[in-house]
Amino acid sequence: MAFLKTTGIAAFKGLIVACLLPLTIARAQPPEANREYALKAVFLYNFCRFIEWPKSAFASPNDPIVIGLIGEDPFGPLLNDAVKGEALRGRTIQIEHYRKPEAIGRCHLLFVGRSEMKRLDQILAAVDGRSVVTVGESDAFLDRGGMIALAAEGNRVRLHINPAMLRAASLDVSSKLLSVAEIKP
Amino acid sequence: MQRPILLAVVAVAFTNYAAAQDVYRSPSELKKLSLDELVDVEIMSASRRLEPLSLTAAAVAVLTQEDIHRAGVTNIPDALRLVPGLDVARVDSHTWAISSRGFNDIFANKLLVMIDGRTIYTPLFSGVFWDVQDTLLEDIDRIEVVRGPGATLWGANAVNGVINIITKSAKDTQGFLLSSGSGTEERGFANLRYGTKLADGAFLRVYAKYFNRDSFTLTNGTQAHDAWDMYRAGFRLDWDPASQDSFTFQGDIYTGNEKDAYSVPKTNFPFAGKIRSTDNVSGGNLLGRWSHRFSTDSELTVQTYYDRTVRNTAIFAESRDTGDIDLQHRFALGKGQEVVWGFGFRTTHDEVRNTLNVSLLPDSRTLNLFSAFLQDEISIVPERFRLTLGSKFEHNDFTGFEVQPSARAVWTPGGRQTVWASVSRAVRTPSRAESDIRLNPAPPVPLPPGLVTIFGNPDMLSEELLAYEVGYRIQPADRLTLDLTTFYNDYERLRTLEPVTAGPVSPSKIGNNLFGETYGAELSATAQATDRWRLQAGYSFLEVQLHRKPGSHDNSTEKNLEGSSPHHQFFIRSLVDVGWNIQVDSTLRYVDALPAPKIPSYLTLDVRLSWSPRKDLEFAIVGQNLLDDRHPEFAPTFIGTQQTEVQRSVFGTIKWHF
Repeated sequence: MAFLKTTGIAAFKGLIVACLLPLTIARAQPPEANREYALKAVFLYNFCRFIEWPKSAFASPNDPIVIGLIGEDPFGPLLNDAVKGEALRGRTIQIEHYRKPEAIGRCHLLFVGRSEMKRLDQILAAVDGRSVVTVGESDAFLDRGGMIALAAEGNRVRLHINPAMLRAASLDVSSKLLSVAEIKP
Repeated sequence: MQRPILLAVVAVAFTNYAAAQDVYRSPSELKKLSLDELVDVEIMSASRRLEPLSLTAAAVAVLTQEDIHRAGVTNIPDALRLVPGLDVARVDSHTWAISSRGFNDIFANKLLVMIDGRTIYTPLFSGVFWDVQDTLLEDIDRIEVVRGPGATLWGANAVNGVINIITKSAKDTQGFLLSSGSGTEERGFANLRYGTKLADGAFLRVYAKYFNRDSFTLTNGTQAHDAWDMYRAGFRLDWDPASQDSFTFQGDIYTGNEKDAYSVPKTNFPFAGKIRSTDNVSGGNLLGRWSHRFSTDSELTVQTYYDRTVRNTAIFAESRDTGDIDLQHRFALGKGQEVVWGFGFRTTHDEVRNTLNVSLLPDSRTLNLFSAFLQDEISIVPERFRLTLGSKFEHNDFTGFEVQPSARAVWTPGGRQTVWASVSRAVRTPSRAESDIRLNPAPPVPLPPGLVTIFGNPDMLSEELLAYEVGYRIQPADRLTLDLTTFYNDYERLRTLEPVTAGPVSPSKIGNNLFGETYGAELSATAQATDRWRLQAGYSFLEVQLHRKPGSHDNSTEKNLEGSSPHHQFFIRSLVDVGWNIQVDSTLRYVDALPAPKIPSYLTLDVRLSWSPRKDLEFAIVGQNLLDDRHPEFAPTFIGTQQTEVQRSVFGTIKWHF
């Protein structure tokens, strides 16, 4: 479909961008206007609600649920806003940031942003064999062994889940969550 | 362009809860939504809104794929019967009269209808030929309906309502779908769709469908001459090459044969006769859309389409070619404002074949429409009060420049309540027929043609509306939502048929001598009674009061327009998941009597029973209009087609998805 890029559209695009440039430059940058990640943050919170971890995943009954973020953090304060003050089955939710795959600590849910896809294999290897829900942002993430994808498609965030991978990690997903998701593969 | 109504007309036009502070809705707001609602939250569509329905500031209704599926309907007009406040009447097997807030007619002209952003009303009479508006119903994502004016964004003709039928992305229609069925009125139908992934981010679907529908009956119970069939095929390609760009290409072609019987004028005594014919309708369209995100808060969409329609009937033939290009840009301005602006050009060319009954002079004409709009949405009190101001500016070949501004405000006081109000101006520009027609109806008593001719008027003015609306929405409990809208519409310069000479019979010429007001209320409620049982109800009330200007001698239009829409409509719908993969869905619907045309009130019941033995397989039996053998819903106007009655219908279907 490369012809689409090469033909008139590119020229047309250039023309329109040129027309609009003054406008886009003139406007002020709105602060942290990130609706997509506000929504994704709330999805992560909902995963904590609708997924059950085995007892062995926690040291004690009051141990928090830990959401890990690896690499670049696309959420800013949004994820913290989504989980602060919440308690699920007697557990609070904590957020931890990891710089690189080797640094991944004890977490229950690991969010792998777009920027981390290049070292995805290392990341997945780091949590392999543990009951960690891996969440990415594309179908490719599932194809390469991830469990859940929050894929921005068109104007919505779609949920793609590979239940077999979750089961293999002794994670129990509620049917409610599965019913709104697209099941892969 | 694909400006989903919900987002564009309402949310955009009106306000954005989130525009208040950061343009996005905060996570704590989003957390109140259920999973079902979360997956429906829009993040960056053409209008990129994160606006749940409950916060929009207009009389909006959305029919989802599930609503349509579980209604068991086989055509788009029947699906629209489920929208509270819409007035849908079937005139014969292949003719519908559909309108919002009054003025219903086969040639109803105050509703703007789109499929995936392509305008489908015809400039011939500013209305919709509903018989040729179709697609694979399983591929419809949703139908968004706004009652009331949407002219500020959509332009002339979005006077009393806007309907946007939005199909799913090709990505969401992968694999094979086969469905087929047969019954008493639905003599046979078959649908086939195949969706595939072409490359990373590129998805294609193709579909084909056929149906064959039985004739209705005449008022005396004998068979009418109105059976029809239609073939249709189409495709949609969605391509997301990079995160900033997305492309859509889609198109359809169709051809159908419709039986009809006309009362027509004749040049020799008794000057009237009947003809029976099989008319052919066909057409096709091709649409391309490109969206580009400059940033999360700036997006540009460009859309262009070509559309051809051909109607070849015994009393008139028309072929029409339309080309359209539209551009829309949206961006955030400062902290609490969102601006959307755009412009467009449409050209439409027709060629007609005239008869003594219906003729247009000249017999070919090209009409051009230029339009631009600008709208600003301002957060006055963050998260509480928003104001939207905007206007459309248009130039058409009949009346020149038209300006259609609106002001809308929404107040969200908390407690899951929304209060909104609006004032807007909309115009209905003259149609090709109103300008150029010469209509010779079959005379009721032997009179030579010419004595009762209706002449078009090239100097006809636009009909004008000033609309006032107030709405209130509340979710008093988790499982219950209520939505009330009231409106007062002030019309000027409505179309009349002015007699040219004095006396009992006279030719007439189109004028603009009617004014008046309509008012009404629309109430809808949805209750999730239990996890497996959902109830929906809708009630609408409408009053139309029109007045002739001094000097007008038209003594029929006032009465006809006042009497063509029901005062009261009511429906209640029950959707039950019985268990064992069985669903029982039913709709009880009441429509008040019409004074003109004289139609008695009716009560109908539709029931759908389905069983899915496997996830990919569904069997269903659907019964429609079960409470009587037959009933009339409307009557022909202007054109002497048959007065028919809608019959009870029962059909079975099987659907296989793999």
